[in-house]
Amino acid sequence: MEQLHFQYAVSRPITQSAHIGVVGSGDLEILVVPGEGGMAQVQVLTGSEGFGQTWDHVLTRFFTRYPIVAQMTIHDYGATPGVVMLRLTQALEVLGYAE
Amino acid sequence: MQNSYVELNGRERAQALLDRDTFRELVGPFDRLYSPHLEPQGIVPQSDDGVIVARGMLQGERVLIISIEGAFQGGGIGEVGGAKISGVLELALEANIQGERIVPILVFDTGGVRLQEANYGLLSISEISAQVIALREHVPVIGVIPGRIGAFGGMSIVAELTSTLIATRMARLGLNGPEVIEQEAGVMEFDSRDKELIWNTIGARQRQVTGLIDELVEDDAAALTAAIYQAMKRPAQPPKTLQTDFYLSLLSQFDPAEKWTPDRYNQFYKKVNPVEYFASLAKEGASDQADSRGYRWFASLTGIAHPVSDTPSVLAADIVKDGQIYRYISVVPDAASRYPRAKVGEVGLLEGWTVAKLVRDAIRLDQDTTNKRPIIAIVDVPSQAYGYSEELIGISLALAASTDAYAAARMQGHPVVALIVGNAISGAFLAHGLQANRLVALDDPGVHIQAMSKASAARITRRSIAELEEATSKVPAMAYDIASYSQLGSLFRLLQDIHADAPRVQDLRAAEFAIAEAIASIADASRDLISSRLQSEAARNGGRAATLRVREALRRQW
Repeated sequence: MEQLHFQYAVSRPITQSAHIGVVGSGDLEILVVPGEGGMAQVQVLTGSEGFGQTWDHVLTRFFTRYPIVAQMTIHDYGATPGVVMLRLTQALEVLGYAE
Repeated sequence: MQNSYVELNGRERAQALLDRDTFRELVGPFDRLYSPHLEPQGIVPQSDDGVIVARGMLQGERVLIISIEGAFQGGGIGEVGGAKISGVLELALEANIQGERIVPILVFDTGGVRLQEANYGLLSISEISAQVIALREHVPVIGVIPGRIGAFGGMSIVAELTSTLIATRMARLGLNGPEVIEQEAGVMEFDSRDKELIWNTIGARQRQVTGLIDELVEDDAAALTAAIYQAMKRPAQPPKTLQTDFYLSLLSQFDPAEKWTPDRYNQFYKKVNPVEYFASLAKEGASDQADSRGYRWFASLTGIAHPVSDTPSVLAADIVKDGQIYRYISVVPDAASRYPRAKVGEVGLLEGWTVAKLVRDAIRLDQDTTNKRPIIAIVDVPSQAYGYSEELIGISLALAASTDAYAAARMQGHPVVALIVGNAISGAFLAHGLQANRLVALDDPGVHIQAMSKASAARITRRSIAELEEATSKVPAMAYDIASYSQLGSLFRLLQDIHADAPRVQDLRAAEFAIAEAIASIADASRDLISSRLQSEAARNGGRAATLRVREALRRQW
């Protein structure tokens, strides 16, 4: 198990919260709440160790495209980057985010 | 399968049953009440601990939905999830008593106790059972097993306690999963890779034929909602757990030595000729029938030399002490049992139904008096019986029957005390002991309270024994010793300096004194199961810290 922390410079405030997914095998849950200042904060707790760089790539890509001011908590049980991206975009849908 | 219900996750399953925009979750993900016991074991927690609790309307009727997420840790019940279920059922009970009808619906998808939080799971399931039994007197409690995991372990007992149990064909129901039986009793007992055999034995269709599930419904949210609505409107039927004479007759006519396919059993089941059974008490025998703590403590406390009984594995006696009559009940080994998986003191089919008979008998004897005899369960049970016949016939229901009987006695005002003199393991403890108002245990290395034997728990959670022991040092609820258990706060007394194997006169006096103190402390029998467990110093000092937090949050948000 590994605890990771990331932050990204962002600009688009959000007003709602979102919860998506289940900590099942190959899956993850994501909690998103409105953040503060110009930074998105992401806490990742993952059962698969040593994938910090992969997480950073996926999250960088996400926040570059969707620069939401959010505090995000992720509980991961071995999700692939594809599944992570899918859940992140599902969370955006719940937030009612429009590009 | 456009509208498959089974394919939905736990939260979606709760939402799908409710009228549009009426779903209101209690203690949801954003309350972040995680299990505090998983991270120290290197397991990623989930923000709702795998239990979704929501209020809402079902076709215009107020309901409470409890949905277990099977994809998270196999739907295992730990402290937080368990406290959510029992806590919210308690709130629903209060509402119904005050005249606000609200129907509880439990959507099962669970393997039972979460082995990583073993004793919290067992305590929780006994508390959930108590609430379901109490609620059933006011409103129907609806159980739904959609399928994927199904309902197993202690939660299969809870399922059998519901007023109406509904399932799809994708559901399975059993006390012990096939893998566990194969592990405990060997591949010849039950081949866990024989999928056809498994489905034909514990699949919902088979369960419906033999009355363990009430209704089969298509895998469709609208069909399930309609079935639930009808069950809510139906007048209360007698609980399945009251079929004591039928099952005792069945068990005496069934020969476990023969080969029983599910089809053959179904034919037999239809032809069972039920006769009336009478509770039979122990008598003095010529020589000891068993060599166990449960046997010796029963003999010593009742003063019956070499006790024997019509059902040798269950001893009961009514004993007068200081002008008060007490009923003692003990489950003991029977080396000659016709049921080979229940020879060394396990609680099996015969034991569950016989204990139920004996407890119901005490209730009947005292129905016209306010002086209800205390019932003392002497607990020394190594496990539930793991076997093919047990699952085929429905050991979940047998253990639900004794659970229900003990709870009924408690609610009628019989003080119920469990005296733990040896092992108190898993389903056996749920069925014989954990419905007591008070738990009294001996402080002795031979006293073990757990959800599964150490070797099995290690295999199932894919750890070595050393890793398991390492985990138990961080999480007292996983430990096997009584000192760790006492940290959880559910023991009323832990008796020191007792000769547990061969009790001396002073040991018997100490036990009797503790039992008397326990009985004196019981104020309101029906509610006293949970309150004493949660108000003890150990519970408040951390033993049930998460439980108490969950209960407060539920009450605030209710």
